Amino acid sequence: MAERAISVMVVDDHPIWRDGVARDLSERGFEVRATAGDAPSAVRIARVVRPDVVLMDLNLGAGSGVDATREITAELAETKVLVLSASGEHSDVLEAVKAGASGYLVKSASAEELVDAVGRTAVGDAVFTAGLAGLVLGEYRRMAAAPQETSAPRLTDRETDVLRLVAKGMTARQIADRLVLSHRTVENHVQSTLRKLQLHNRVELARYAIEHGLDTDPAQ
Amino acid sequence: MSSPRAVRKDALKPLWRAAVLLRAITWLFAAGVVLAHDGEYANTVLAWGTIGAMALWTVATSVYYLRRSKVALWFTLVDLGVCCALMCMSRLVLTHDQLTVQVVPLVPTVWVTAVVAVGAVRSGMVGGTAFGAVVSAFNYGVRGYFDTDLTRDFVLLVGVGFVVGLASTTSKQSAERLAMAMRAEAATAERERLARTIHDSVLQVLARVRKRGRELGGEAAELAELAGTQEVALRALVAAAPLESTANGQADLRPRIQVLATNRYQVAVPATPVLVPECAAAELAYLVREALENVDRHAGDEARAWVLVEDLGDEVVVSVRDDGVGIAAGRLDDAEAQGRLGVARSIRGRVAELGGTATLETSPGQGTEWEVRIPMRGRNCG
Repeated sequence: MAERAISVMVVDDHPIWRDGVARDLSERGFEVRATAGDAPSAVRIARVVRPDVVLMDLNLGAGSGVDATREITAELAETKVLVLSASGEHSDVLEAVKAGASGYLVKSASAEELVDAVGRTAVGDAVFTAGLAGLVLGEYRRMAAAPQETSAPRLTDRETDVLRLVAKGMTARQIADRLVLSHRTVENHVQSTLRKLQLHNRVELARYAIEHGLDTDPAQ
Repeated sequence: MSSPRAVRKDALKPLWRAAVLLRAITWLFAAGVVLAHDGEYANTVLAWGTIGAMALWTVATSVYYLRRSKVALWFTLVDLGVCCALMCMSRLVLTHDQLTVQVVPLVPTVWVTAVVAVGAVRSGMVGGTAFGAVVSAFNYGVRGYFDTDLTRDFVLLVGVGFVVGLASTTSKQSAERLAMAMRAEAATAERERLARTIHDSVLQVLARVRKRGRELGGEAAELAELAGTQEVALRALVAAAPLESTANGQADLRPRIQVLATNRYQVAVPATPVLVPECAAAELAYLVREALENVDRHAGDEARAWVLVEDLGDEVVVSVRDDGVGIAAGRLDDAEAQGRLGVARSIRGRVAELGGTATLETSPGQGTEWEVRIPMRGRNCG
């Protein structure tokens, strides 16, 4: 790696797994700045060490990985969160992505896939598994069908096509070939589906806070 | 939170209390009637003696019915016997004139209604109706004739037995259902606890063994493969929600497809339930299984597959894609000989029965892709 190494923080409540992932990444030239075993310390430590990428498990003993993801991405603009969690935790993964995570990798992914995903996350790409694409696609369709979600974002036809192919396990390269697009354009489409969802989620949270008076300072 | 057993036991308590209260109140009425006719009876001492016996019996049965968690049938039959015996005493208490011409009430009068309620609470509609009929029979027997008034008593007694019995049966059934629901809830909670434990311990270790073993290679890689297979199977098991149908015959399609996930087969679904008619859920799961078995047999050892479930509101789309060897356009005859198109025909037939469409796309080296669309509007199990 020509420039400085990508700095990483590993958050997982299981020490065997946490230390294993940390070692895998160190061996491959990443700078593992810190590890954390629960959500509150993850937020605290991330503020201090400011890693490029936080590898976040969602199934944490104390506190939720989703909340930690929300706090870290809101406070640290330069830090990206990559969810590394067990498959099957559908709603948690979707919530984490809406809260600001840039991608999701299953724990069963190989070391090569992990290294690749961390590298892509660090440069700002969205890392999608087929499973996450299915969840995001489902979330847009749920919002489109819900009458109260009038301000919800919509997918363009092209974005829908791209997401469906990601959900069917195709790589960005394969999708680019199939749809006759550039590789970069495919990445941008995936990225934009995620950004719209995250922006909408932030707006909704702010509206909720205002409606319920959570924005006023209790000290006043 | 009370236990399911306690729920069932407590269900009849209010009815037993009501039956006991009814007996106490009707005893006061009977005592009042005897007081009103004091001195007119053939045997006044025996009249008051009967009222006294009724009081004792009221206290004894009240204690029994309120204390016992399970009331014995034999005791209610003894209760019925005692009440009928006390009715018979009226033949010695009342004068012949009072019995037949003046139609003065029998000494226990409406007090006997309480035993009909007892039979009904204990044994439901059948018990209540039978107790009502027996008491009415004694009512006729003691008077020694039939008339409209006595028949009215008959209708009322049997009616009370029937209605209270119905109430008793209904509360027993509701309590049974409530207990079942509580058991199901407890089972779900237990299942979630297990899933969490498995996730936090066994799965983490298996994942680590698989990862590290694969990197070490050789025999360790074989062990890693075994660990990986178990890891995926276990994940699918703890992730899949129980296969339950809603009241109107709708079922969530997701868990039925998710259990098919393995090392090589990934499943993508929405985060919210995909509700389809129960029969369509079973058929679609069967289709996907068939398509994946086909991948297993024909697409090559290295082939992987992805299943995508989409809910478009008016239709459900299920896609199965593999990255295997595919089928060349000119080799459809071979494919047919290999049995691959047999599966295709079977899938098309099943989809057509659900009113949907199935398309198959394939080319050499590009794998195969099934897309099945089933309309959901107004469809139900046939």
